[in-house]
Amino acid sequence: MENSTIMIQMSDIYKSFNNIPVLKGISLEVKKSEVLAVIGPSGSGKSTLLRCLNTLETIDGGSIKIKGEYLAKNSDGKAEYADKKTQKHILGQMCMVFQQFNLFPHMTVLENLLEAPLHVKNMKKNEILPVAEELLRKTGLFDKRDAYPSRLSGGQQQRVAIARALCMSPDIMLFDEPTSALDPELTVGVLNTMRQLAEEQMTMIVVTHEMGFARDAASNVIFMADGNIIEKAKPHDFFSNPQEERTKSFLKNMLK
Amino acid sequence: MHNILNTIALMLEGTETTLQIFFITLVLSIPIGMLVSLARLSRLKPVSWFMELYIWIMRGTPLMLQLLFVYFALPMAGIKLSDITAALLAFTLNYAAYFAEIFRAGIQSINRGQYEAAKTLGMSYTQTMRRIILPQVIRRVLPPISNETINLVKDTSLIYILAMNDLLRVARTIVQREFDMTPFVVAAVFYLAMTFVLTWIFKRLEAHYGKYEV
Ligand SMILES: Nc1ncnc2c1ncn2[C@@H]1O[C@H](COP(=O)(O)OP(=O)(O)O)[C@@H](O)[C@H]1O
Ligand SMILES: [Mg+2]
Repeated sequence: MENSTIMIQMSDIYKSFNNIPVLKGISLEVKKSEVLAVIGPSGSGKSTLLRCLNTLETIDGGSIKIKGEYLAKNSDGKAEYADKKTQKHILGQMCMVFQQFNLFPHMTVLENLLEAPLHVKNMKKNEILPVAEELLRKTGLFDKRDAYPSRLSGGQQQRVAIARALCMSPDIMLFDEPTSALDPELTVGVLNTMRQLAEEQMTMIVVTHEMGFARDAASNVIFMADGNIIEKAKPHDFFSNPQEERTKSFLKNMLK
Repeated sequence: MHNILNTIALMLEGTETTLQIFFITLVLSIPIGMLVSLARLSRLKPVSWFMELYIWIMRGTPLMLQLLFVYFALPMAGIKLSDITAALLAFTLNYAAYFAEIFRAGIQSINRGQYEAAKTLGMSYTQTMRRIILPQVIRRVLPPISNETINLVKDTSLIYILAMNDLLRVARTIVQREFDMTPFVVAAVFYLAMTFVLTWIFKRLEAHYGKYEV
């Protein structure tokens, strides 16, 4: 696949909760191997944006296309979702990493990784086990493979969550503030894992408050406020020369 | 000495009836309670309301009344059940309602993130419930289930009002016949032995299902 392939295309997305609009006509595109950092104040709709992409929330209006296939299509101003089978196919190409890790606590690290490949993709254990073990080695968790999540630090749990997602070999990874629940000294390991993933050309959308990561690992940065995209730019331009007032004041607060 | 052995032999027979009611009720009411709790949480409002009504009636009226109703009222309506079936019907309906509420609380205590993680990994509703949610629910409901199970051992003595020779009724019969209180003491020891074994089993289960907790 060429690097210019459009992996994600969201057009004019509207989403309300109880008649309160949260996404007010969001449009964005993510190309293959692009790392899109999404930043903005809390409550601006960043999580909702990600959650709409993988149908944890449903959009009211607009369209979503993943690798050229419609997940939801605009029809008379209303979003019309693809049939179950198409949805399943599309969603199988995306995985999400949550702020709260959401590991399965009753399964060991290795079992967490194997669960979906074995029971969703119906893979054979001898096919997927080497993949899982390789991922654990890469994330430095191989010696923890038989531990239960409750025995791990937050940073280790989040790396397991990333490995669990990667074990499904997705084309797109969504991260919702993956380091926000971590003590500062534990964020480094998680961010390094994500940087490595970016270097391996994974297509990623990363909602984050880590300005350092956005600056040197992202291909593009989006600033969101009140359900709108206020500004989109290359990281260098975004941080050294923001155009919008709201971006400027947000960055001033963040970097102070 | 001969007398007390005789008493114990008679009471063991009573214990058999007690245990029979206990085990069959338990084996039926736990899975039914589980299904009722899922129906109670259903998005189909009529289903959910019906289950709520059922649970309300079962928990809101005395088990004794329910037993008498099944035992005396159903035959009047032309439904003939054997004594043991009648008792089992009342016990199962009653305990399933209690178990349903325990399971409901357990299911609702599981973090929404677990469902979301399962969904983003492509798992279906059935897979999510069976492989992710219910194993965690079991861990959380074991203590209240253990309580209810011990209550059930003692509640079986309510069939004393029906003409069934359970442990307590046998004890009373001997006491009345021989003016000797020993059978009551023996009955107490039997009940304590049963609850002791149950407590031990549940401790083991809790340790087994809780091995993933710190
Ligand atoms: N399930 C929900 N029900 C009602 N309101 C919600 C729900 N999810 C999010 N919101 C609201 O939508 C707004 C955007 O939330 P969110 O997308 O979580 O923002 P962010 O991730 O940028 O902090 C907030 O005002 C939040 O309260
Ligand atoms: Mg958020």
